[in-house]
Amino acid sequence: MIFTPEQLEIQKAAREFVAKHVIPQAAEYDRSGEFPSYLLGAAKESKVFAMAIPKKYGGLEYDSITQALVCEEWSYGCAGMGTTLGASMLGTDPLLVVGTPEQRKMYFAPIVDGGMAAFGLTEPGAGSDAGAVKTTAVRSGNEYILNGTKCFITNGGYASVYLIVASTDLSKGLKGLSAFIVEKGTPGFTVGTVEHKLGIRSSNTVELHFKDAHVPASNLVGAEGEGMKIAMLTLDMARPPVACAAVGIARRAIDECLKHLTERFTGNYPPPQTVQFKLAEMHAQVEAARQMAHHAMRLRDTTTSYSMESAISKLIGGDMVMSVTTQAVSLMGSYGYTSVIEKLMRDAKIMQIYEGTNQVQRLVIGRGLLTQAAKHMQKAV
Amino acid sequence: MNFKLTEEQQLIQQSAREFAKEYLEPLVAKMDETREFPREVIKPLADHDFLGLHLSAESGGVEAGCVTYITVIEAISRSCGSVASIMNNHAMASYAIQRWGSEAVKKQCLPAMVKGEVLGAFAIYEHGPTPGIGPMAVVATKTDAGYVLKGAKAYVRNAGKAGVYVVTAVTEADRPKTAVAFVVDAQTAGVKVGERIATMGLRGCPVAHVVFDNVVVPQGALLGGRGTEIVNRTLALGALAEAAQTVGIGQAAIDHAAAYAKQRVQFGMPVFNFPAVQALLSDSNIDCHVARLALYHAAQLVDDGEPFEVESAMVKSFLARLGSKLLVDSCQVEGGMGFVENMPLPRLFRDIAGTTLLDAPADTPERAIAMSIA
Repeated sequence: MIFTPEQLEIQKAAREFVAKHVIPQAAEYDRSGEFPSYLLGAAKESKVFAMAIPKKYGGLEYDSITQALVCEEWSYGCAGMGTTLGASMLGTDPLLVVGTPEQRKMYFAPIVDGGMAAFGLTEPGAGSDAGAVKTTAVRSGNEYILNGTKCFITNGGYASVYLIVASTDLSKGLKGLSAFIVEKGTPGFTVGTVEHKLGIRSSNTVELHFKDAHVPASNLVGAEGEGMKIAMLTLDMARPPVACAAVGIARRAIDECLKHLTERFTGNYPPPQTVQFKLAEMHAQVEAARQMAHHAMRLRDTTTSYSMESAISKLIGGDMVMSVTTQAVSLMGSYGYTSVIEKLMRDAKIMQIYEGTNQVQRLVIGRGLLTQAAKHMQKAV
Repeated sequence: MNFKLTEEQQLIQQSAREFAKEYLEPLVAKMDETREFPREVIKPLADHDFLGLHLSAESGGVEAGCVTYITVIEAISRSCGSVASIMNNHAMASYAIQRWGSEAVKKQCLPAMVKGEVLGAFAIYEHGPTPGIGPMAVVATKTDAGYVLKGAKAYVRNAGKAGVYVVTAVTEADRPKTAVAFVVDAQTAGVKVGERIATMGLRGCPVAHVVFDNVVVPQGALLGGRGTEIVNRTLALGALAEAAQTVGIGQAAIDHAAAYAKQRVQFGMPVFNFPAVQALLSDSNIDCHVARLALYHAAQLVDDGEPFEVESAMVKSFLARLGSKLLVDSCQVEGGMGFVENMPLPRLFRDIAGTTLLDAPADTPERAIAMSIA
């Protein structure tokens, strides 16, 4: 991949930001599992949380490759904090592709001002089976009334704006889902249990409760029944950035291994060949995953139909980072088990889970292949 | 060829399972959170003879053999990897003392170790590229009365809780081949246990660097064997117990994931019914089963008095590649629930990684295996 001077400039700035604001605090917030509120203040001036938002709404309007570079740097520093950024982008994504100018203006304003977005799809009974959403939105005059519970919502406790998927017609299943903008502080909308996690511990993961929460009818994004379509468009956009985050974590793992090895093996004692080979394989996997992620990111800017490539980038990235970080812990032995490398392995695990598990990615890819094959057969006949 | 445990082995395995349920399961979650050393279980472990399984009757042990020892470590690990880790490091120390120690040292240490009154630690790793090399290496200097030890050991398990350390040291600086080993009482002046090091998992088992600051030991503290032999044989045994930990933790995870999959409904049915989920569980169970067979084979070789170092290296190498994958995939079956800390799998994920470490060694298991083929 050959980058433009602007992209490289932004990558450098992101790297400096991460070195100054992310890396030094990462271990402490990983230990405590607290949300690093300071980060929003530090990021406010750079508007990095608004990097995908068009300039006419006050954002930075970075192209997808530039976003990829920033995501990689943040997760290189800390995947928990990288997830905070990534999840805000996930919350922003739907309004980039759907919604009226008024909705966009209202939704993007707090993010441009240094706030965050959150995306609420998952429920206790609706994980991979996103269509099983039970949260309801009932039209009443000029409002919708929301009732139900969302879970595992990243940034849920700290976001200013939320994109919530709820059913406007339970009898229609998937086709009864609709998407709503919900603002922080809406009466009847509260934040529940905070989850403590294996990794990305500094990211905020919570339950959201809706108890007769009234939202204006003008907050319906798209039409009633388009919720699932909007969710799928959003996930197509959000999966390659997960792959970029995975690349960031894995690159950090290799750097940490190299740092340890060069300190430990000096003079006449180079690291054994087996160790060199394993490092080489790890690095090769990282490079390949980055290329796939950037390919999918570029498709985001150039086509509307890239679900398959999006899923592939996340599948490859997620599995790669799990394998690379596991190898790093094992290879670096007791040092790996007690240093920043162990955090990387814990952080890596979520990359196979969120934004659709890697099993769901395989479903997307497999179904895509079979559909294409069926079309070819029809043409041949 | 007989793949069946003897009646006695089955009884001991059963008793280890019951012990784990009664004593370990109630405290494992809290131990993981507080990182507290589980002192209260050491005496009960000894009362059940679990600290002397591999030792001779003369040493106060029960001569139950390696296979039995491995079944116990596996059973304990299903409930608590930390306690199995404490036991393994304790056992490596007592094994080395029994095999290479002087009569006086054996008499002094072993009965107390079997009774759980004194805990052992096997301190062999150093900060340099390989033990015996570099400015931090432990060097033993001969004196009229014995030796003086100076240097530091890295990442010592049971550090701070152990009453006796088995310590390797070179008698000539930067010459690993001059390594010998000593039994060092933890109370000896100059033995300084560093700050406890936070580990990813196995958090009940303390780890620290230990500094030997001109520690004076008597001649009798010297073990009667070359350092490399003591380390290689003891580690080969330790690797089997480590593999038993991996297998035990991995099986616990697979069982939990399968049970979860049966009650978690998505798309109108338990996710267990999906072929892709069955494939994840099945692949994990295959790896776990193959590892267990290789492990018990190696343990039987020990009991038969046959060489077992290569088989031990093969089990270690196999699990270094596949051990953590058992947890990566079990967590995957549980999706988001496999990632939240109030469920057991995240703890098992962190624990199992500690049982498959390679320690960037100059002497890899691959080398031992390849040498055996050539």
